Amino acid sequence: MLSPASTRSTTSTASAFPGAPPTLCMQGVVKRWPRQSKPVLDGVDLDARAGTVTWIGGRNGAGKTTLLRIAAGLIAADEGTTAVVGLDPERELRDYQRHVGFLSGGNGGLYARLTVASHLDFWSRLALVPRSKRRESVEASLHQFGLEELAGRRVDRMSMGQRQRLRLAMTFLHQPTLVLLDEPRNSLDDDGLAVLLEALRILTVRGGTAIWCSPSGEDLGFEPDARMLVQAGRLTPA
Amino acid sequence: MTGPGGTADARTSFAVTYLTAGLAVVSRDMQLFFSYRFRWISQLLQVILSLTLFFYISRLLQTGAPGAADDYYAFAVVGIVVLQVLTATMGLMPLALRQELVAGTFERLVVSPFGALGSVASMTVFPFLSNLAIGTGAIAFAAAVFGLPLEWSTAALSLPVAALAGLNFAPFGILLASAVIAVKQAGAGTTYVITFFSLVGGFFFPVALLPGSIQWLSEVQPFTPTLDLLRHVLVGAPLREAAMLSVMKLAIFPLVLLPLSAYVLGSAMRLTRRRGTIAEY
Repeated sequence: MLSPASTRSTTSTASAFPGAPPTLCMQGVVKRWPRQSKPVLDGVDLDARAGTVTWIGGRNGAGKTTLLRIAAGLIAADEGTTAVVGLDPERELRDYQRHVGFLSGGNGGLYARLTVASHLDFWSRLALVPRSKRRESVEASLHQFGLEELAGRRVDRMSMGQRQRLRLAMTFLHQPTLVLLDEPRNSLDDDGLAVLLEALRILTVRGGTAIWCSPSGEDLGFEPDARMLVQAGRLTPA
Repeated sequence: MTGPGGTADARTSFAVTYLTAGLAVVSRDMQLFFSYRFRWISQLLQVILSLTLFFYISRLLQTGAPGAADDYYAFAVVGIVVLQVLTATMGLMPLALRQELVAGTFERLVVSPFGALGSVASMTVFPFLSNLAIGTGAIAFAAAVFGLPLEWSTAALSLPVAALAGLNFAPFGILLASAVIAVKQAGAGTTYVITFFSLVGGFFFPVALLPGSIQWLSEVQPFTPTLDLLRHVLVGAPLREAAMLSVMKLAIFPLVLLPLSAYVLGSAMRLTRRRGTIAEY
């Protein structure tokens, strides 16, 4: 059961942009899966502030991916509220999605027979990037994620690490305010990790926010602004 | 500063951006289709084989009336081609959607600002257009090889009829796509639906042959008027009812079916978002 809001401790990150409202605000989020006795998330509160990167860890199956999926607007919580820059994913889904970049776990979400450039162009259009900025966005992404030489290559002819770079490029392409990363180090080599960390640096410098989820014990390769754990359905400082 | 004109410009700009997103889905489907070099040839061969088969079946027709075999062949050719287009729009699109679920690409469509509704609706366009092109090639084959008597004076009217047909076929594809999203399966249902419509729609035989008790079914779906009009403008077959009445039916059905299918799709999306099963397969 949910505790009253006043008795719950809200897990918040310190902002590099003092006074700015939280980019992601989750309050009392509860999610139950059918035929499971306990909720996977049981009253999660999270304020992620502008210009910060928050790491969320936890054991396998703790609910990290569920938390990210709710924050991405992909699935709905049973109880509680979620807002990104004050937008409600139920009532203002399109505007909400414009502010969110979501990297799902695993290595899916790509079309095997489309090229890198086709993927980025496709995503720029789905992300409703204005025509005047589309080409520039695609080229910037190719450059930022070290994909220029692979622009014409089909995905099924790329390594897993190269595919992960493409997935990351699509996540950041439309300059989202909030970036949600589910195990982003997946298959990345040291160069790939450096590219990702640089993308996060640029994101936070312009006031964006990132949530990085990965299993506890993983070497992140950087020091996040906040570390939290999903345990027994709750989010607690690590 | 944005005045009233500026607001209108912003709306137009947004509409163009939104339309561009829909076209991106169509373009993606086209790129994927043509990435398999022989796929279109295989589909064309498939329909050509059906046309050949029906040509010889039509030779068995012995009613005593002169030209009966040729008349039936002309009747069947239009039915086969329209069924090919219908099967593509209703059957292939939900199948493609299921592949997207399995590959994890549907998840990306759902979290895109363009959204799942627009994406799914756009996914009906390429299968329809590509099979329309293949159907046109097949009719040309039937005319060249089996002497199908085309009505050249009215054949061009098949284009607006086909456009209306597309608006009528798309909602059925969207409804089946909704089933894929909600229950993750639609294969068996699709086969039943297509077989049912091929029975009551007059694809292979005139609906007048149906028992009176079920003949009304041929009046409450858009396939019968589509076939009537296409047969009339392509091969000069007589109309069952006034052409204007058939056109009106084709214009009215989408006014009901498109909002209905959009509502059902939206409901499937909301339901699966709530359940958390939207990306499952």
